[in-house]
Amino acid sequence: MKVVIIGNGISGNQVALSLRERAKETEICILSAETVPEYDPCSLPYFLGGSIEKKDVFKKNIEDYQQLNIDIMFNSKVVSIAPEAKCVTTDNGLEIGYDKLVLAHGGDLFIPPIEGIRNAGVFSCKQMVETEKLESHNGRRAVVIGSGAIGIEAAEALKKKGYEVHIIELLGWILPVLFDEPTARRLEAAMEGHGIHVHTGEKVLRIKGDTKVTGVVTDKREIECDTVVVATGVVPGTALAKTALIETGRGIQVNRKMETTVSDIYACGDCVETFDSCTGEVVMFQLKHNAIEQAQIVAKNILGDNIKYLGAYAFARVHFFNTHAATFGKTMRATECLLGKSELIEKESGNDYLRVVLLDGKVIGGQAIGKYADAIGLFIGAMWRKDDMDRLRGKWNKIPQSGAAYSWPLIRLGQIIGPAAHG
Amino acid sequence: MLVDPEKCTGCQQCLIACSMKHHGTVNPNLAMIKILRLESQELNIPVICMACDDAPCIKVCPMNARVRQTNGTVVTNTDVCISCRACVYICPVGSPVVNPYTDQTMTCDMCKDDEAGPWCVIACREGAMRVCESDALTKGVARERAGRSRAIYPNN
Repeated sequence: MKVVIIGNGISGNQVALSLRERAKETEICILSAETVPEYDPCSLPYFLGGSIEKKDVFKKNIEDYQQLNIDIMFNSKVVSIAPEAKCVTTDNGLEIGYDKLVLAHGGDLFIPPIEGIRNAGVFSCKQMVETEKLESHNGRRAVVIGSGAIGIEAAEALKKKGYEVHIIELLGWILPVLFDEPTARRLEAAMEGHGIHVHTGEKVLRIKGDTKVTGVVTDKREIECDTVVVATGVVPGTALAKTALIETGRGIQVNRKMETTVSDIYACGDCVETFDSCTGEVVMFQLKHNAIEQAQIVAKNILGDNIKYLGAYAFARVHFFNTHAATFGKTMRATECLLGKSELIEKESGNDYLRVVLLDGKVIGGQAIGKYADAIGLFIGAMWRKDDMDRLRGKWNKIPQSGAAYSWPLIRLGQIIGPAAHG
Repeated sequence: MLVDPEKCTGCQQCLIACSMKHHGTVNPNLAMIKILRLESQELNIPVICMACDDAPCIKVCPMNARVRQTNGTVVTNTDVCISCRACVYICPVGSPVVNPYTDQTMTCDMCKDDEAGPWCVIACREGAMRVCESDALTKGVARERAGRSRAIYPNN
């Protein structure tokens, strides 16, 4: 059997690794559009900020591929798939046949149609090549457009390098997908306290400068700068899948076995649209742990197991300097379009803040800052177990005064949340 | 590693042994064990890395610093850990300890290079911690029950 994997990212390599663990004979071929071995895009901002060296970004080197007996072809961007002939064509004209094909080419950076976006001094922070350019760039004032996870981490990295940093976010608060407004406002205040200027609810109209960036014009102000970082999100790459007539929505559509609509073609990672593990709605969580889990499912199904994916979930954390925050699952804003009774639990003490979102008495999401974040794993556990919080809250008072050690996570949850608010 | 919270008195001998083993100092803050005190239940719960089979911390670490050892435990590679605490937040029991001096996380490695076994187990005077095979617990209970029925029915 020959397995061809398109994409040399986290999910592509995880498929190869999981396959190789169990099948020593299978021929595995990875086609990479880039020229470097596998690296971890999550660590690029830390490389940018100088916390780590370049070598630590890489997860593998060339010898590792040989040792695992995996063929790796760099500079081979796949342009089309022929599912009947079972072969793929690369941009340098090579045709490669396959028995099973895995699409793991990930997403592309969304470049908003802003005037001047191609000027020198405009960078992104998603791929190795771009980040290296930004790292070697010498500037003093930077504007980060977009405040997703990449934007926030890039802003912190640039601040560490001594830049004056501005973040511009189109929506009402920073990290709009991952955090609710009250949490995000606290984070904003923490960032302002560390000298990062945050402008929310502003639209970038154009980037000034003829060839080199000299400033950014928004609908409220004009910021002089010599560096612009575009972090406006990642869109799944669906163009390749369309050449094989695979059904696509926002991303490549897959079933619970991570198969696409065309037989013998699987997809995983940033390029697929999956469903939420709690609510079952179609979502896109382009996060590392989802990519790894999907890749493991793909590898098992290729080897003939019948394994179903349990669904994606959001988990992210942000930290700048000494403020730590974590989030998982759904935000309160996202529950507004869900059926069922949603409930919000908020706890606050000093700078620490906790927010848990319940839907019909079950935990479906939460956010925490400071010391509350240390216990957020217990809530994630409760989310997976689908614990009925209403029932538990009734029980917490009845737990015997001593003993009952087996239920300590629940007792701890009870301590944090407090008794039920009757009303 | 088997932990029995009902026997734990919260004396912190295990924390001292752990910091002595891994850092060479007596400093409970540097131990890789946490003792969670639940006052309302009169319980002390030693929280140790459970080395999950499908460990979520390995998946979420942005630096791939959480590494599975040959003895099954998962430890943080301090060369690349950038102290983002993702592993603390995703952990279902919140077990990784943040080193107060370097800000990096640490978890139990079962004292892997020590033939004497985990130091916390040696240090614990209450027998709240011990090392056993995964099925030894059920076997032990079965043997105890068999012994009890033997006492009742000595001739069968």
